[in-house]
Amino acid sequence: MSTLTKVLIVLLTVFSLFLCGIVVTYVANAENQRKRADTLQQQLQSAKQKQQAAMEGEAQQKQEAEALKADLGKQLADLTTLRTQLEGEIDRLKRDNSQKEQEARDASARATLATETSSKMTDQATAAQNEVKDLQANLTNIEKELQETTQALMERMAVLSDLEKRNRQITEEKQGLETQLNQVLQQYGRAPLRPPTVTAPRTTAQPMTQAPQTPTREISLNGRVTQVDMKSRLAAISIGSAGGVRRDMKFHVTRGDRFVCDIVISDVDADKAIGSLDLVQIDPQPGDSATTNL
Amino acid sequence: MSPMPQTRGGKTAPASNLYTVILAIAFAVVLVTFAYVVYACKAQYGVFLGVP
Repeated sequence: MSTLTKVLIVLLTVFSLFLCGIVVTYVANAENQRKRADTLQQQLQSAKQKQQAAMEGEAQQKQEAEALKADLGKQLADLTTLRTQLEGEIDRLKRDNSQKEQEARDASARATLATETSSKMTDQATAAQNEVKDLQANLTNIEKELQETTQALMERMAVLSDLEKRNRQITEEKQGLETQLNQVLQQYGRAPLRPPTVTAPRTTAQPMTQAPQTPTREISLNGRVTQVDMKSRLAAISIGSAGGVRRDMKFHVTRGDRFVCDIVISDVDADKAIGSLDLVQIDPQPGDSATTNL
Repeated sequence: MSPMPQTRGGKTAPASNLYTVILAIAFAVVLVTFAYVVYACKAQYGVFLGVP
């Protein structure tokens, strides 16, 4: 056996061992591709099933989304209609509100006017009651004066009746005395002389001569100021037509030695008179003296 | 050394038993490796040659 053969045998053996070692190592460490392929196939099937399920779910969700979209569209349309109706209702309510507010303002104005009218009517009623009271007081005074006047008239009528009775008695006495006088004078042949009458005998008409005018003197009327109203510049005095007061008379009001004002009479009652103030120097007061002659 | 094997007594005698043993070991190793590969292919894929 040659050396080359030996070397080749050794090399062949070495390489065979080396190659077999590599092959064994590779086969021992190689992955089971069939098992891997089965696993991948299962994973692929599972993925396909998941994809199918996902697609079905997607389609179902899409249908549900479409249905929900349609429902939401319908609800949106309904809500839009409702919103339009509510806006119309709001506008109507606003108009009603403004109308009610206007009515409330009108009612308030009417209430205020009614209150003012009521107050004025109350004042007028109070004034009318006061005037009625004054008129009742005047009526009472007039009735009292009427009773006094009637009583005075009755007394004077009684006096007049007595005077007529005495006059008749005197006339009868006179006739008796004339009869006795005629009888006595007839015994002596004389006729009685008729006494001259008191009444002047009638004469023919003559032109009237101006009689000398006797000097006259104005009567001084004295009274007191009873009421004063400076707002209307009116005053009342304590004497009236029964005391000789007439319209347009002027009374001079004094307080002590001071001149206060003048009162020009404009309204006269039986026991009082009312006039306007004139030439006011100081404000008159109840109790001041009023006289026609200073 | 002659390249032809020498015959003694009518029998063929190897040139060297050492190298024969080495060749036998190499062959055995290759054979065992082949068997292991066949076993591994059968165990994993069911077939040795071809597509499973």
